Amino acid sequence: MKYFPLVWAAIMRKPTRAVLTLLSVMLAFTLFGLTIGMNATFAKFKEDARDDRMFVFARFSGLVPVALERQIESMPGVEMVASSSGIGGYIKDPKNRVFVQMMDDKVAKVNPEYPITPAQWQMIRDDRMGMLVSKMQADRWHLKPGDTFVIASPMVKKLDGTMSWTFKVAAVTPDMNIFGQGYMFGNFDYMDKARTLSDQSKTGQFRVKVSDPTKTAEIAQQIEDKFANSATPLQTLTEKVAFDVTANTGMDIAAVDRDVALAGMFMVLFLTANSLAQAVRERFAEFATLKTIGFSDGGVIGLVFAEAAVPCLLGAGLGIGLATIISNIIPHFLPPGQGLPIPTMEVMVFVWAFLCAALVAFISAALPALRLRQMDIATALSGR
Amino acid sequence: MLRQIWIVSALNFKSLPGRFWQSMVIVVGLAATIGVMLSMLSVSAGMREGYAKAGDPGRAIVISKGAEQEGQSAITRAMAPLIAVAPGIAKDTDGKPLADRTLNVGVPVLRADGSKGFTSMRGFSDKGPGVRPELKIVAGRMFQPGKREIIAGVGARIMFRHMQVGDKVILPDGQWPIVGIFSTGDQLEGQLIGDTETLLTTLHKTNYNSVLVRLSSLDSLTTLKRALTTNPALSVDVMRHSDWYARLADQQTFALALLGYIVGTVMAIGALFGCLNTLYSAVSTRGREIATLRALGYGAFPVAVSVILEAILLSVAGALIGAGIAWALYDGKLDLFGNTIFHLSVSPKQIELGVIWAIAVALLGGLLPSIRAARLPVVDALRAT
Repeated sequence: MKYFPLVWAAIMRKPTRAVLTLLSVMLAFTLFGLTIGMNATFAKFKEDARDDRMFVFARFSGLVPVALERQIESMPGVEMVASSSGIGGYIKDPKNRVFVQMMDDKVAKVNPEYPITPAQWQMIRDDRMGMLVSKMQADRWHLKPGDTFVIASPMVKKLDGTMSWTFKVAAVTPDMNIFGQGYMFGNFDYMDKARTLSDQSKTGQFRVKVSDPTKTAEIAQQIEDKFANSATPLQTLTEKVAFDVTANTGMDIAAVDRDVALAGMFMVLFLTANSLAQAVRERFAEFATLKTIGFSDGGVIGLVFAEAAVPCLLGAGLGIGLATIISNIIPHFLPPGQGLPIPTMEVMVFVWAFLCAALVAFISAALPALRLRQMDIATALSGR
Repeated sequence: MLRQIWIVSALNFKSLPGRFWQSMVIVVGLAATIGVMLSMLSVSAGMREGYAKAGDPGRAIVISKGAEQEGQSAITRAMAPLIAVAPGIAKDTDGKPLADRTLNVGVPVLRADGSKGFTSMRGFSDKGPGVRPELKIVAGRMFQPGKREIIAGVGARIMFRHMQVGDKVILPDGQWPIVGIFSTGDQLEGQLIGDTETLLTTLHKTNYNSVLVRLSSLDSLTTLKRALTTNPALSVDVMRHSDWYARLADQQTFALALLGYIVGTVMAIGALFGCLNTLYSAVSTRGREIATLRALGYGAFPVAVSVILEAILLSVAGALIGAGIAWALYDGKLDLFGNTIFHLSVSPKQIELGVIWAIAVALLGGLLPSIRAARLPVVDALRAT
């Protein structure tokens, strides 16, 4: 620690260079934080997905008769089946996209991890137009409990010929990772009874919970087989697969993120290595002096490493900090309904950033350090 | 003045090899920035191109009012003939209107990597090939109307399993053979096509999704639109096919493009600081040279310009390297995102965008150092060792 003033003096010798280098490193780590944080979000989706649940929906688009719920529930190994259907639409202007998931009574039991209390679920049971709005969505549309508002949905055909759905905010509930831009839950029954007759008693999807998690895939296959030749062939999707971004998009986005982070690291490595090499070159005579007054090879090299480490580690810290701020404000600026995942700044992101920063500092310092070790003091002192 | 700029810049560029590694910071920074940005944008740009090619301005799509996707639209059997006889629709050689009753449903497929996905199964009626003349059969034959047969796109054949001629696709009432492979040059190539009426029966559906028509002329859209929207028996929207796909492309690619630009911006700012760093030290390295030139009577402006030109030269070189790498790796590669198959694209337009970004970085990064170069106190700089 006592050598810190020496390192600091070396860095501040060219303040512009020091600040610019630091800012570059910071930006590279902002990118690192956003991409690796995004991967952390994806990993969390997958981790949070339960292996005893699956979604079941129509194999060839369209709705599924609610009556099939009983039939699936009676299959061996199936514990419970809930159903939910979506109303996609907008508030006032088509740009203000919203999506309401209309839940039946059993969703609370099939998805007990939802941060919604039994009393809150009961609110949308008691008031058919009631809606549970997550904090993020409530902020976005300036909704508070008791507010009544209308969602226009051209997609869902209504019995009364209009396309407006009136909702009343029953409660504002906590957000969930899986719904990166918040969620809106309504009452399935309200939707069902208000649709055109031909669409009544039909749902968008079932949420099936099985009793033995190891049998999920097997039961999924059985459900598909059982209804393959019925009027409504069914398609299953286990929650693990549904929440796996790679399986979902068919594109290895985590790998893309890693490549982007790596490109940023490469850019910053080149920059720090260069500015350090330059700084050392300019002060060759000074290092020779240090050696002359008794600094060991190791001591001098240590100083160079410290000089590299300061901007790298500081930049990494600031960059990840900036990434955290950006991740927190992104949801407020995105146009609604895009469903973009928001980066999560979890511990591993910081650990990886720290390791990468240390590695960048080490590689940047390696070459100048080697030159210092091999230098001839007399030549260096003479300034040749 | 121009002569002075030329001489000072030439002198500057000649000294570049002496500052090779330092200068490489700008080149590498911009290469990484533009390479990454164009690679990411190759996905959204490729999807856009696939959609854009599918949307022929000489066609119009009729969907139910308010529908944003074909899947949300329903055209009843009663409405379809009313639409077909409307004015503004081109006539086929047999005198019948070129109006195709279409269907678009999702069917589960197995992706080449074994994961589950969906693709669109389209229904073409008798006028389908007439409305979409770009459809060419490249292997096997066209499906026969009334028969349970389908044709698969050239992209689907590669990106999904079991999509060769002779393979079978499972539909509600059994397996349908693939009898041919088609190409269209657009995003339909990742999809399947069968006969509308036969598919409707099989899928227990009663409504078409849309009616696609060939306009009698590019301007006849207004006529058609007026006829259909004022008909009380219909509740439909009419859109030029190219506008329809442009809107779909916007919806589909917005998030992807946004991510590309966010990453590109963050990296560009990082590269900008690197650029500033390099140019400041270049100016201080060239201090004596600049001072000598000034002493010889060269103006401050040519000196400043030479710094900015250096920044532009290095940045654009970097951008072209990055764009070149992105182009070599991705351009034209068949890819899949969600349920859409398309060719990744690093087009000249994208590369141009990369170069513009590079020039912007160079101008911003070169400005302050160039001012410093111009204001360099001549006497001090000459005296400095």
